[in-house]
Amino acid sequence: MFNVYIWFYTGIFLAIIGTLAACWGPGVKDPVIRTLNTEVASIGVSLIFLCYNHMLALLTLIATSVICTLILLRAISRLEEIGADV
Amino acid sequence: MIYVPSTVPHIFSAMYIPAIYTGLIIGFFSLIAISMQKRDIHVLVLTDVVGFAMLIVVAGVGTDLAESFILPGLVVELAEVLAISEILISREMRKISADNPSASFNPMPMKYDMEILTTAPNFLSLLLIAYGVFLTGFTGGAIAGGGILLYILSRKARGLPVFVINGVSGVSGIGWCMWIIAFWIFFVAPQYWLLCLFLAACGLLLKVATKMGLIGVLMREEYGKD
Repeated sequence: MFNVYIWFYTGIFLAIIGTLAACWGPGVKDPVIRTLNTEVASIGVSLIFLCYNHMLALLTLIATSVICTLILLRAISRLEEIGADV
Repeated sequence: MIYVPSTVPHIFSAMYIPAIYTGLIIGFFSLIAISMQKRDIHVLVLTDVVGFAMLIVVAGVGTDLAESFILPGLVVELAEVLAISEILISREMRKISADNPSASFNPMPMKYDMEILTTAPNFLSLLLIAYGVFLTGFTGGAIAGGGILLYILSRKARGLPVFVINGVSGVSGIGWCMWIIAFWIFFVAPQYWLLCLFLAACGLLLKVATKMGLIGVLMREEYGKD
């Protein structure tokens, strides 16, 4: 039987673990790793939206989190290129 | 005692308390981490996580109104990250050129040499744009914008003239006007609701597609050099 609570609590777990990983996880001195860790939290938030039937919000979250990652990676690589302290 | 309207399903009201506490925990941890960070780009990445806390708290309400509040939150967060990253880059450039006036900030050349980037994009982006226009609305705009993004990113010739970029922004403005006119007609003459619906859907399509196309132009300015 399909149980919404499994997906809901998996989403909560992933969101909290992803936040902890982005804040104090292994290797977060490198901003690229920190950016990729936030993706874990973003998957958790997507699962929570899925449980609430927020279809439009879910689609927008997927699109904006991809574009956000692109923008952040561009900023990081540009800052490293010009020799700034990142 | 929490007052729950009778229109909210029981399953959503049972998920409310865990969702709110998750939002508070995420917000607490990420704000502590921001207060301990010194470097700006790390703070910018962590701001993204604070946004997730906001989203969970709003989504926990579980109504359609809450969902419609999530959408502008996401888009504003995206615009904010884009603007602040540009400001950070130009500030670092100013700092470095103050120390060393002869420093060069040209992006490194990047060579893609892939067969698929020269043959496939025309067909794929045409297909995506046609499907997006057929869908209309927000989803269609995202798909058509993905087609424009793919086309711009994969073309070798670089540097659209400023005129074209201004034109793309102008089309986005026409999208807004269609949307506002549609809302106005909807309240003044509700019997034309179908016209309003299609006007709003096409306006949103133009808006979202041109926004994603502009991001493609921006990315190509950096990476499309050869």
